[in-house]
Amino acid sequence: MQAGWLVRLLLGSFLLVPTLGYSQLEQFDEELTIKSLRDGKVFSKFSFTTILKGASPRDPRNLGTDDVSQHYIVFPLALGQILREYAVTELHLSLNAGKWNYDRWGYPEEPGVGTGAELWTWMGDSTQSSINERWRGLRNALAGLFCASLGSLDEQRTTSPARSFLPEGHLPDWGIPHQIRHASLPSENVCTENLTPFLKLLPCKSLSGIASLLNPHRLFDADWHGMSVHVLWRENRGVEIRLTFQTISDPLRLSSGRKQDWSFRTLFDRTIEKTCPVAQSSRVVVTLPTSVAYAIEPEPSSVVLGLASFDISNSIKPLDIGLRFAGDFQYPVDFDAPLTSLSVQRILHGSSQAYGQLSVKLTNHQAEPLRVVYLETMPWLIQFYLHTLKIHIDGMRNDNAMSEVTYIPAVPHARPATFQCVLSIPSGATMDLSMDVAKSFLRYTEHPPDAQRGWDLPPAVFTLIEANQTSPLNTNRRLYTPTLLVDLATPDFSMPYNVIIFTCSLIAFLFGSVFNLLTRKFVVVRIDPDKKNE
Amino acid sequence: MANALGMYRTVKRLGIPDSNIILMLADDASCNPRNKFPARVYADRGRHIELYGDNIEVDYRGYEVTVENFIRVLTGRMDPSVPRSKRLLTDDRSNIFVYMTGHGGNEFLKFQDNEEISAFDIADAFEQMYQKKRYNEIFFMIDTCQANSMYSKLYSPNILATGSSLVGENSYSVRPPIPPNHHPTNPPKYENDNDIGVAVIDSYTHHILSYMEHINKTSHLTMSDLFASYDPSKINSHPGVRTDLFNRPLSQTRITDFFGGVSQVEVRPPPASPNEHQHQHQQDQEHAPLPRRAGPPTPESADVTRTSVRREVRAWGAVTILAALIGWAGTRK
Repeated sequence: MQAGWLVRLLLGSFLLVPTLGYSQLEQFDEELTIKSLRDGKVFSKFSFTTILKGASPRDPRNLGTDDVSQHYIVFPLALGQILREYAVTELHLSLNAGKWNYDRWGYPEEPGVGTGAELWTWMGDSTQSSINERWRGLRNALAGLFCASLGSLDEQRTTSPARSFLPEGHLPDWGIPHQIRHASLPSENVCTENLTPFLKLLPCKSLSGIASLLNPHRLFDADWHGMSVHVLWRENRGVEIRLTFQTISDPLRLSSGRKQDWSFRTLFDRTIEKTCPVAQSSRVVVTLPTSVAYAIEPEPSSVVLGLASFDISNSIKPLDIGLRFAGDFQYPVDFDAPLTSLSVQRILHGSSQAYGQLSVKLTNHQAEPLRVVYLETMPWLIQFYLHTLKIHIDGMRNDNAMSEVTYIPAVPHARPATFQCVLSIPSGATMDLSMDVAKSFLRYTEHPPDAQRGWDLPPAVFTLIEANQTSPLNTNRRLYTPTLLVDLATPDFSMPYNVIIFTCSLIAFLFGSVFNLLTRKFVVVRIDPDKKNE
Repeated sequence: MANALGMYRTVKRLGIPDSNIILMLADDASCNPRNKFPARVYADRGRHIELYGDNIEVDYRGYEVTVENFIRVLTGRMDPSVPRSKRLLTDDRSNIFVYMTGHGGNEFLKFQDNEEISAFDIADAFEQMYQKKRYNEIFFMIDTCQANSMYSKLYSPNILATGSSLVGENSYSVRPPIPPNHHPTNPPKYENDNDIGVAVIDSYTHHILSYMEHINKTSHLTMSDLFASYDPSKINSHPGVRTDLFNRPLSQTRITDFFGGVSQVEVRPPPASPNEHQHQHQQDQEHAPLPRRAGPPTPESADVTRTSVRREVRAWGAVTILAALIGWAGTRK
């Protein structure tokens, strides 16, 4: 047993070395941004960022071998395991409900506001396991993690729009190409069961810190709400996971006196009781109103450029930040005037169940000409007739406004259509784009259970190109149009039963008649007149 | 929806974690824009108990709730990409509680208003589970119209089943008490919540849930107590119980065997040596009382061989008699 302690010491040192090698620094920050909007609503954005310093995404060429052990302290293990398992470099998942009104509310702080579920990733190509297989595994793993039906984002909804969805972080230089996979499910509902796993990914869950304000009963009462998960890699920082929740709440609806006042109590029905102990920084940033008299309480820690900052760790608990306005709310005369440089409207015309017309109306509100990348990922239910594409600028036909067209046509029952082009809109002009479309006739097993409702079509995405650039940068703005609902021809679902009944009756009649004709013998019966008289 | 959510809440309250529960909800009622109380589903008209809560995990929702997915969950035959939270990872020491509710009829239950699962499908799925040793005991509860027909076709051992209504009876929503001068042949059928506008919960499930509200993890109440509490006049239908496939007597089967996640702890005197101490620690990890295993199977196999030999003798005898008859008929003139 003398050698026993020596062996143990050696074993211990062997185990210590790997852990020293992988002792990465992790940092968790949380922030809440609140802004009162022009039409009386309040925009709040919760942002929880965890940085794994010095880490890098998994190289997909190493997928066949065992991965190094992942030891996390504040980084969410459930999500980290999924990222390593499928060698994901960048991931963006958003679950939104409602329609984001760009004219009234301006640009959102997180650009992914398309209704429903949207998932897009950048993954490196590898011969070990193809990107499509890993995309499938990733969808299902995220569906299980977030209790969403992301498993149905199959190849009938997946596209690769590399020009519109540029990576937000950096792509590692492994010498292998990275590809994007994007899919959206506009009919996805967002509810408490999506928020529960979202909160479980945070180090303090919903017990302390800013996350304790996330009350599902008030969040899902909002006019618009969306949660998103962003995973990216920056070369000098490491792997970053950012969990955000944005809402547009309506204090006017809840107050009886037409007051625009808000506080944590009225917005979320909660207050912050404790600081999250593992958060390096935990703050609330309120955009102060510029044109009306107001009072904010408690006193902010600092006010810089019209932004009041509160440091949660140094504030008196329970913390209930509130903004009170001096007078009643008055709708400004221009409350509907656009706050963005581009307004978009997309409509599906046509009352026929076989043909329709997709029309997009863009208005450029800024003083310079505008160039946008227009992305349309249409499921195969709607087939484009590209030769009927017409562009009118301020009423005059001008097909040259469209350039750099990329079109991947739809394959029925297999692949959606991807249409990308660059549109140039002169300053202050309105562009009308219209295209004839054909609506498909589905096989009767492809209809959903509520077939008469129709199919939701994913939003079109417009990526603004900065002036003096030829193509979008990853900092460019993205606009989403609302989703469309298309009514396809539905069969009479009771027909199989009717056909069977009808056919069986017909066969019974035919068989009966033929059988009788063949087997029945008709005999003339002679009645003797003598016998009858007796 | 309140039916399934009420059961979910009861089962969670009695100790079963989300990782051991598979919840399938076909409709999104709580966050539907038409719900006046967003992210809330109430258990009764007075809105006393809120069932959706803050901490719910729905594994299958919307269009994913199909007969195919349900049977795949039971039998375990799934695509390898299906995540763990959507799988029923049970073994032969697991007690499973299966609760189904919806619109149904004689030996069928409707899914999504579009397809049906029949009593035979469920019986075969349970048999597959038995063959693959995926359960120790199953408690099957069903609340639909004519629910008792759904468990009439089960044939695997160790299944206890209960349903809300007899064949030919409908299972109604909670009724308010009938005033004395009300005409008895035309009673009101549903209790509506006038603010929400729809019926909120069914009578049978409401009865079960209100019974369960009095139970906590330490309760020793048995299944026979639960079944004895059935009152057809309050439930407006005749619930039934099927016990012929269940080996243990109901008076010894605790409700928490199926509804609760109760750890069995044996307190033993302090051990004399370190080896014994380890053994006791392992025993503490078990979660459900272990019924005794069935006896060795040798007498059964003897029976089996005897019957098969008898069958073979019969078959050959018949063949020889037939051959003799044909030969006799052939040689006659």
